[in-house]
Amino acid sequence: MHHLHLLIRPVTALSAIALLALAAGCSKSTDTGTAGPASLATSQTTSAPQAKTASKLGDLSAFRTIAADVAAIVDKGDLPAARTRIKDLEVAWDSAEAGLKPRAADDWHMLDKAIDPALSALRTDAPNQTDCKKAMADLLITFDSLQAKL
Amino acid sequence: MNTLTTPSISNWLNKVPEVTLSFWVIKIMSTTVGETGADFLAVNAGFGQGMTRTAMGALLAVALFMQLRTRRYTPWIYWLTVVLVSVVGTQITDLLTDGLGVSLYVSTSAFAVALAGIFAVWFWVERSLSIHEIFTRRRELFYWSAILCTFALGTAAGDLATEAIGLGFTWGAVSFGSLIAITYAAWRMGGNAVLTFWIGYILTRPFGAALGDMLTQAKTYGGLGMGAMWTSALFLTVIVMLVAVAQFSVGSRRNTQAAE
Repeated sequence: MHHLHLLIRPVTALSAIALLALAAGCSKSTDTGTAGPASLATSQTTSAPQAKTASKLGDLSAFRTIAADVAAIVDKGDLPAARTRIKDLEVAWDSAEAGLKPRAADDWHMLDKAIDPALSALRTDAPNQTDCKKAMADLLITFDSLQAKL
Repeated sequence: MNTLTTPSISNWLNKVPEVTLSFWVIKIMSTTVGETGADFLAVNAGFGQGMTRTAMGALLAVALFMQLRTRRYTPWIYWLTVVLVSVVGTQITDLLTDGLGVSLYVSTSAFAVALAGIFAVWFWVERSLSIHEIFTRRRELFYWSAILCTFALGTAAGDLATEAIGLGFTWGAVSFGSLIAITYAAWRMGGNAVLTFWIGYILTRPFGAALGDMLTQAKTYGGLGMGAMWTSALFLTVIVMLVAVAQFSVGSRRNTQAAE
């Protein structure tokens, strides 16, 4: 027990180095794009019809799907359910910030600013279907405009 | 007065830990854990930014109160305070950036100037910026002000690098890690200890953030895909282990000294 502290320094240094090397190795092989939507964004250039799901931020389809889902629920008039579902978008979007933002910070902010009003509209004390529909429509337009930009 | 600087007594009286590898590891990891925790409360738990900020501010006040009141360095209180200072420092920058629309260029510069100001006043009043002699309440307040400012500055600088040059977390970890290594080398080659310590300290904020992102982010974004929960659990485990070792070794050292 006395000598535990003597081990700490080499152990922490070695684990830190191993962890960094592992992470760098794993992340680099994904970056060079053997598979995955990230490579889709970089390899697709001019063909507009094919670039439906890609944008400067990469593949946003997962987020757009949730947004479309929420819009559909809002259209049906079930605002509490829409409020629950849009939380999935918020959590997913928030957790991917560090991965997405560096790719195109301005685009990220644009989409982030479009998500906020949708969240507020659904989270007010007495949500209004017209406002929610508009917010969701604007959000989907923003998604599409980002994907069209490529 | 000279007896205060005898090594064994200064160890006894210094309110803050010695700068060891363990110190840096805990510091880096506690940054990540603090940020993930605050994020969890604000988003996942649904408390929102405003309430989370208030809660963290209140917790910091309590922790700082406890830390200032202790007569000697008590690892678990010190590191709890560091985690909370980290969170609040980050939140201050986020409030400026997201809440008030302040440009990251402006906030980075402002915090750099503020930090320089803190050091200027600290040195003017105490004639020493040594972190090995934080014996008085006043010195400790300077210390914690500087620490808070380094977290705000580190957050702003890291965010600025992401937004201005698209620096992702992998290259961010490499860049900030390299800068830290260079700072360390500069110190070993005779560079000013105070300057290199604080520069290193600032840099560990964006480094810790990048490291955390490398572990949490999904594989499609080039991360390891561990997710926030598992990464936080891992880091928290390491922190608790290292702080426990520190607490134990501080305790046994003082018992030995007291027995002499």
